[in-house]
Amino acid sequence: MKICGGKFFKGGFAIKGYILKRLILLVPLMFAITLFAFFLLKALPGDPVLGLVGERASPEIIESIRKEMGTDKGFVSQYIGYLKLLLKGDLGRSYYTNRDVLTDISLKFPNTMMLAFAAMLVSVPLGIALGFLSALSANRRSRFLEKLIDTISISGLSIPVFWSAIIIMMIFSLKLKLFPPSGTGDIRFLVLPAVVLAIPATATLARVTKTTVIDILKMPYITTARSKGLSLTRINLIHVLRNAIIPIVTIIGLDFGSYLNGAVVTETIFGWDGLGRFTMEGIIKRDYPVIMGCIIVGTVVFVIVNLITDVIYQYLDPRIRLNVKKG
Amino acid sequence: MNYNSRPAISVLITLAFTLLLLSCTSSNRLQGYVYYRLKASPSTLDPALISDVASATIAAKLFNGLVRLKGNLEIAPDIAQKWSISKNGLRYTFFLKKGVQFPNGREVRARDFKYSFERVLNPATKSPNTWVFDKVEGVREFLEGRAGEVKGFKVKSDYVFEIILKKPFSPFLSMLTMTPAYVVPREEVEKWGVDFSSHPSGTGPFTLKEWLPDRELLLARRTDYFDGNSRVRGIAYRIIAEDLTAVTEFELGNIDVIALPASAYSRFKNDRKWSRYIISREGLNTYYLGLNSSRPPFNDPELRRAVSYAIDREKILNTFYEGRGKLAVGPVPDLLRKWDIKTPVRYDPKLAGKIIRDKGLKGMKVDMYVSADKEVVDLAEIIQAYLARVGINVNIKQLEWSAYKEAVNKGEPDMFWLSWWADYPDPENFLFPLFHSRNIGAGGNRVRYINKEVDSLIEKGQYSVNEKKRDYFYQKAEEIIIKDSPWVFFWHKTDYVITQPWIRGCRVYPVYSMDKGMEIKTDLAVN
Repeated sequence: MKICGGKFFKGGFAIKGYILKRLILLVPLMFAITLFAFFLLKALPGDPVLGLVGERASPEIIESIRKEMGTDKGFVSQYIGYLKLLLKGDLGRSYYTNRDVLTDISLKFPNTMMLAFAAMLVSVPLGIALGFLSALSANRRSRFLEKLIDTISISGLSIPVFWSAIIIMMIFSLKLKLFPPSGTGDIRFLVLPAVVLAIPATATLARVTKTTVIDILKMPYITTARSKGLSLTRINLIHVLRNAIIPIVTIIGLDFGSYLNGAVVTETIFGWDGLGRFTMEGIIKRDYPVIMGCIIVGTVVFVIVNLITDVIYQYLDPRIRLNVKKG
Repeated sequence: MNYNSRPAISVLITLAFTLLLLSCTSSNRLQGYVYYRLKASPSTLDPALISDVASATIAAKLFNGLVRLKGNLEIAPDIAQKWSISKNGLRYTFFLKKGVQFPNGREVRARDFKYSFERVLNPATKSPNTWVFDKVEGVREFLEGRAGEVKGFKVKSDYVFEIILKKPFSPFLSMLTMTPAYVVPREEVEKWGVDFSSHPSGTGPFTLKEWLPDRELLLARRTDYFDGNSRVRGIAYRIIAEDLTAVTEFELGNIDVIALPASAYSRFKNDRKWSRYIISREGLNTYYLGLNSSRPPFNDPELRRAVSYAIDREKILNTFYEGRGKLAVGPVPDLLRKWDIKTPVRYDPKLAGKIIRDKGLKGMKVDMYVSADKEVVDLAEIIQAYLARVGINVNIKQLEWSAYKEAVNKGEPDMFWLSWWADYPDPENFLFPLFHSRNIGAGGNRVRYINKEVDSLIEKGQYSVNEKKRDYFYQKAEEIIIKDSPWVFFWHKTDYVITQPWIRGCRVYPVYSMDKGMEIKTDLAVN
C-alpha cells in the first residue's frame, strides 16, 4: 500500500463546489429541523404565558399576552410567522427578558466556543497519547500499563459529569483554593469546566485510538516497515498515527460539535455563561424563541463542524474522495 | 541527573508556574459592596411587569411607592409622608414628600403616580398585575377602552394624590406596598420603550449600575436618596443556578449572604463556626396538599378530612423537614392571624381508616401530581405511605414545572403539592385568591373549592372598614375552610439566611418588598 505523500488533494474547484453544495443542503435541513422542533414544542405540555404572568393575572391579560406572542393562533400560521421572521435573520425576542435572542446567542456563543476549545486542548493530546500508550503496551508481556489506562478511561466514561464537576470543585476550589468555583471570565474561570468537560472526551478518544492502533499494528505494512529497520518513533508517528487519524478526527469532530452546542450540566454547575445554560433555562421556562434560536444555531454549527471534518479527511487521507460529482 | 528527564522537569516547572499564576488569590470584589446570590437572572426590572420574587427583591431597591411595609408588617410612609382614609373607606388621600427625586434629578409629583398606575392598567403595557388596582373606580372603563383615564386616580395638586375606590376594600393600602405600585418617570419610560425593563429608573436608594444577564447585576448607592443613605456602596447579585456552587462560593467568602439551601441546612446548623451566623424568620407562606374538591372522590368534605387525619404532619415537619417551619393549622400564617383556631384537624389515622371503610372506599386510587423536584418527590412518597395505611392508593406523577402548573390550573390532578406566598401582609391574601369561587384555576383557587358561605364571608371582610369586624369575618371563613379541608395544611416555611462574619445588620424579611438595602453593612476591606 502506498503511504500517502505528495499531492494532498486534487482540484480546489471541486472542493469549493462540494462545500457550497453542503451549505445549500443546509436550507432544506433547516426547514425540516425547525418544523420538527416547532412541532415538538407545541406538542409538549406547559404554557409559556402561565409561567410569565405569575399567580394572579386576569384571564383577559393572559389572553392578550397570548395574542401578542401569537400562541393563540393555529400551528401552521404560527410556523409560517416564525419562518418569515427567520428569513429576515431575526430569531425574535425572549418571552421573559424581552431581549433579542440573536444578540444573546452571539454574546454566549464565544464563551461556549472558548470552553469547547479549552476542553479539546486537554482531551485531544491526552486522549491520543493514552490510547497510543495503551495500544503499544498491549503487545508487551506485562500489560500493567494497558490495564491501568483502560481502567482510567472506563472510569472517565462512566463517571457522570455532575459528579466529577462537584468533586473537582471541592478539591480545586474549596480545599486548594486554586480556581474560582464559578463565573465567566478569564482563563482562571475556564480551567475547571474545561477539565470536567474533557474527562469523557479524553476517555472516548483513548479507547478509539487504542483499538485503531492495535488494528494497524497487525497490518503487513507495519511488519514491512519494521523489517526495513525503521526506528520505532518513525513507525509510530508516520505509519501508525497517519493511518489511525481518520477515526480519531471523526470522534474529535463529533465531540467538538456537541460542545459547541453547549454543555448543559458543566455550564450550569460552574456558572459558565454559555449556550448550554441558556438553552436549558429556555427549555425550563418554555421560552420558545430562545429554544428555537438555540436549535437553529446549534444545527448550523453542527453541520459546519461536520463539513470541516469531511474536508480535513481529504487532506489527511487522499484515498478519501469527497463525493463531488455524483452528489 | 539523567539528561533525558530534563524536558519533563522543565514542563512540570512551567506547569506549576502557570497554575500559580492562574490561581485565584486576588478577588474581583468591589470595595464596599455586599454580595448576594440569585438562583436565576431576573426577567425584568420594570415594576409594571414583575411577577417573580427575584425581580421584585431587586426592584425594591430601585423604586418606591406611596407607602411601604416596616418592621412588624405595619404600613409606613414611603413617598407619601401621610395619608387619610375617608370614613366610608372609599377615598384615600396621600400627601407626598417634597424633594423626592428620580435619578435624572426631576422631582416626583402626584401626576407621576397617576401616570405610573395607569401605565400598569394600560392594555398596551400587558402587565400581569392589573388586579392590584381593580377595585379603583373607573378601572373597568379604562381597561375596556371606554375612558382615556382612570377616574379614581386624582391629582389634587402637585403633592396631593387621591385614589377613589368603587367599594370599600380593606387590604387596599397594604396592596399599595407592592411592586406594581412603584412610581416611574414618564420621560424615561418613553425614552426606552420596551427596554425600560433593562434600564430601570426610580426613586430608590440604589440605581442599576450594570446588568450582565445570567452573570451578575450591580446596584450602586445613590447619595441623594430622600430617606438617608445606604450603609453599603452597592449591592452585587451573582447569578448562580446550582445550590452547591453557591454554597462553595459562600464558603470561599466570595458571597456575603445566601439563602441557606435545604441541602446545606444541617451542615451549617451543626457547625459551631457557622451556626451563629444563621438568621431565620417565619415566612408568610403556607405549604399544602391540595385536594381537587370539584369532582369525586374529593368533592366529599368528610373524605378530605380523612386525608388530613391520616398524615402525621408534625412528624414529617420535625424529621424529614428538619423543623424548618411551623406547623400550619389553617391557610392563614400565624403572623397575620389575630384569632385562635379552636378546632384544628389533628393526626388520627384510626378515624381516617374508619371514615374510608364506612364509605366503602378502601383501596381507592388517586393521582397525586408533584413538580419534578427531589425534595417534593421524597415528601410525596412519605404522604403516599401514610395514605396507603388507611386504604388510599396514591399514584405519584412527576411533571416538569410549567407542565405541572398548567395541569394543576386546569384541575387535572386529584391531589397536588403547592405553596402560597404573601404578596401583601393581610389575611385576605390567604383567603380570597385561594378559596373564593371567583378565582378557580390560575387565579389561585386551584383546589376548585366552592362554598357560597365562605365567598360571602371573605367579601364581607374585604368590605369592612372596621378592623374587628373584618377579623371576625375572616376568622369565620377560615374555620369553615378548615372544617371543609380542601387543603391538608402542612407548614409555614421558615426562611434561613447565612451571612459572613463581616456582615452586620442583615435581616430576613417576611415580604420581599421590605428590604431596601438600608440596614446591611460590610466590614470587609478589599484591596
